[in-house]
Amino acid sequence: MSELRTIAQRIALSVILLSFLSFANEAAAQDGKALFKANCAACHNIAKDATGPALKDVESRWPSKQLLVTWIKNWNKAVATGDAYAVKIKEWNPGVAMSVFENLSDKDVDAILAYIKTETDALNAAPTTVPGGPGGKTEESDNSLLYGVLTLILAVVSLIMLQVNANLRKLADDKDGVPAAEPIPFYRNKSYITLMTIVLFVIAGYFLSQWAIGMGRQKGYQPDQPIFYSHKVHAGTNQINCLYCHGGAYEGKHANIPSVNVCMNCHNNIKEYGGEKLYKEDGTEVNGTEELKKLFAAAGWDPAQNKYVGQGKPIEWVKIHNLPDHVYFNHSQHTKAGKVQCQTCHGEINKMDEVYQFSELSMGWCVNCHRESKVDFNDEKGGGNKFYSIYEKYHKEIKEKKRDSVTVSDIGGLECQKCHY
Amino acid sequence: MKYAAIFSVALVGLMITGCGHDKKQPKDVYMPDMAYSRAVETYSSTENLKEQGIFYNATPVSGTVKRGELLPFPYAKDKDGDTTNYIASKQVANPLPALSKEQSVEAERLYLVNCGVCHGQKMDGNGPLYKDGKGPYTAAPRNLMTDPVVVNMPEGQMFYSITYGKNAMGGYGTQLSTTQRWMLVHFIKEKQKPAPAAPAATDSAAKK
Repeated sequence: MSELRTIAQRIALSVILLSFLSFANEAAAQDGKALFKANCAACHNIAKDATGPALKDVESRWPSKQLLVTWIKNWNKAVATGDAYAVKIKEWNPGVAMSVFENLSDKDVDAILAYIKTETDALNAAPTTVPGGPGGKTEESDNSLLYGVLTLILAVVSLIMLQVNANLRKLADDKDGVPAAEPIPFYRNKSYITLMTIVLFVIAGYFLSQWAIGMGRQKGYQPDQPIFYSHKVHAGTNQINCLYCHGGAYEGKHANIPSVNVCMNCHNNIKEYGGEKLYKEDGTEVNGTEELKKLFAAAGWDPAQNKYVGQGKPIEWVKIHNLPDHVYFNHSQHTKAGKVQCQTCHGEINKMDEVYQFSELSMGWCVNCHRESKVDFNDEKGGGNKFYSIYEKYHKEIKEKKRDSVTVSDIGGLECQKCHY
Repeated sequence: MKYAAIFSVALVGLMITGCGHDKKQPKDVYMPDMAYSRAVETYSSTENLKEQGIFYNATPVSGTVKRGELLPFPYAKDKDGDTTNYIASKQVANPLPALSKEQSVEAERLYLVNCGVCHGQKMDGNGPLYKDGKGPYTAAPRNLMTDPVVVNMPEGQMFYSITYGKNAMGGYGTQLSTTQRWMLVHFIKEKQKPAPAAPAATDSAAKK
């Protein structure tokens, strides 16, 4: 019995010891992560090159760990030893020298290296797991085909019935001894001709008027752009605000297409695409990294040297949303004063790989929204737009509970010369 | 019969042109001269203006300042590897008075649009582009709340970094006006100050 007890005690002890050890290990890695973030992460990434080189497998690249620790704390000392690798790595990014970290103790450096090691192992364990292939495109249910088939069947049935009717009448006439009239072919039958003419006129009229109304309306227009720029990746996955690139939408008439230097704010660092696979509308796969190379060519930037080497030239994006010359439209009037969201008119841009025109941009579409949209008239709480204080009559009516809101059309949003002048 | 055949062929032709539209191409318009402006508009090509004897270089006359705008920053961008102007910019004071409540709201909006994507909504240096190193951006953005470099950075130097960029960060001189950038400097400095309510609360707790 006592023997069993000692064994149990020993097991318990060793379990405690083991768990303590593993906790300590984890704590070191945790510390390493914090230290890495505080000291290294501004220039180094574990998987990718940044301002400094990628740090995966860094220990195995160095001739000795001692030299690596020396380098991390003060790279000058490591170079002073004359080691070939240290001298070589000094020239990795010629413009930028690494900071000196004399404040880090050997233990801190060990913790950082341990963290890098665990992250390296994690990377090596799962080198190329692509998160889930592209979801199969959901077939959009379209009822028009069904209706078409139904119409065709009904038309055939009615034709057969007409034929049967004629045959039966002929039989009846034969039985009664009425002499059968000379059969008239259907194309000379007056009622057939009338019916066909009416049907043709209706169909032709429908399509003609649809075509005439639709002329000049570009809803659904989705041209190929010079670079496969995915709004889904930028505004959707990475949550970049629309105004980051299209800042003009809040400041003035034009939303503005960003110039290449705005792209390069981030892309001087992000040199390859590593997200989910990209597909064009027709299903062909797009290599994001190749598309980025087109951007670098336009910017005159060399990703290998991290330097602008050539002459930059603008990218000629294809304009999608176009209003005729005789219409005035101002973005800031709608986004800043009217507080309309971008998606209201442009659709869910943050889900589009290739942008298409979401709205009709017809006059009826504009006018309809002006009739329905309410302006920011809320002066009771003091939050309303101060500009509208000049509409004293409406404010009075709101106070007297004669009206509850004011629409854009109430303040002249349907006047011709608001938009046409 | 003959006419009917011709008519139906024409109809089918019309239906095809009416429905089968290639969305990669723009549709026809009634008056192309009106729909696509012949006047020089934003983003019109300015390449062959010179051949027509028209002078146009798209930049403001040097030395001019936009109406209502602050005077420009006195220091130009340093050349690669040089830090003279970066250090000199420490001396420049913020020309804007402290932000009013409305200005502060506007500055926060500017921060969220332009800075938050990297430096994080909470200014913790962990925006959606970095996401603890899981995002596409490989360099960790500064933690604007706690990093001593940023907390102790003089306002003029912060303005320099926002305008011309620093390390991996790009410059925002083209995206934000001088006023907007000084507003952001005010806003960040304001946020970095320790909240005045917190020490008062601990004091009262200590007294009890």
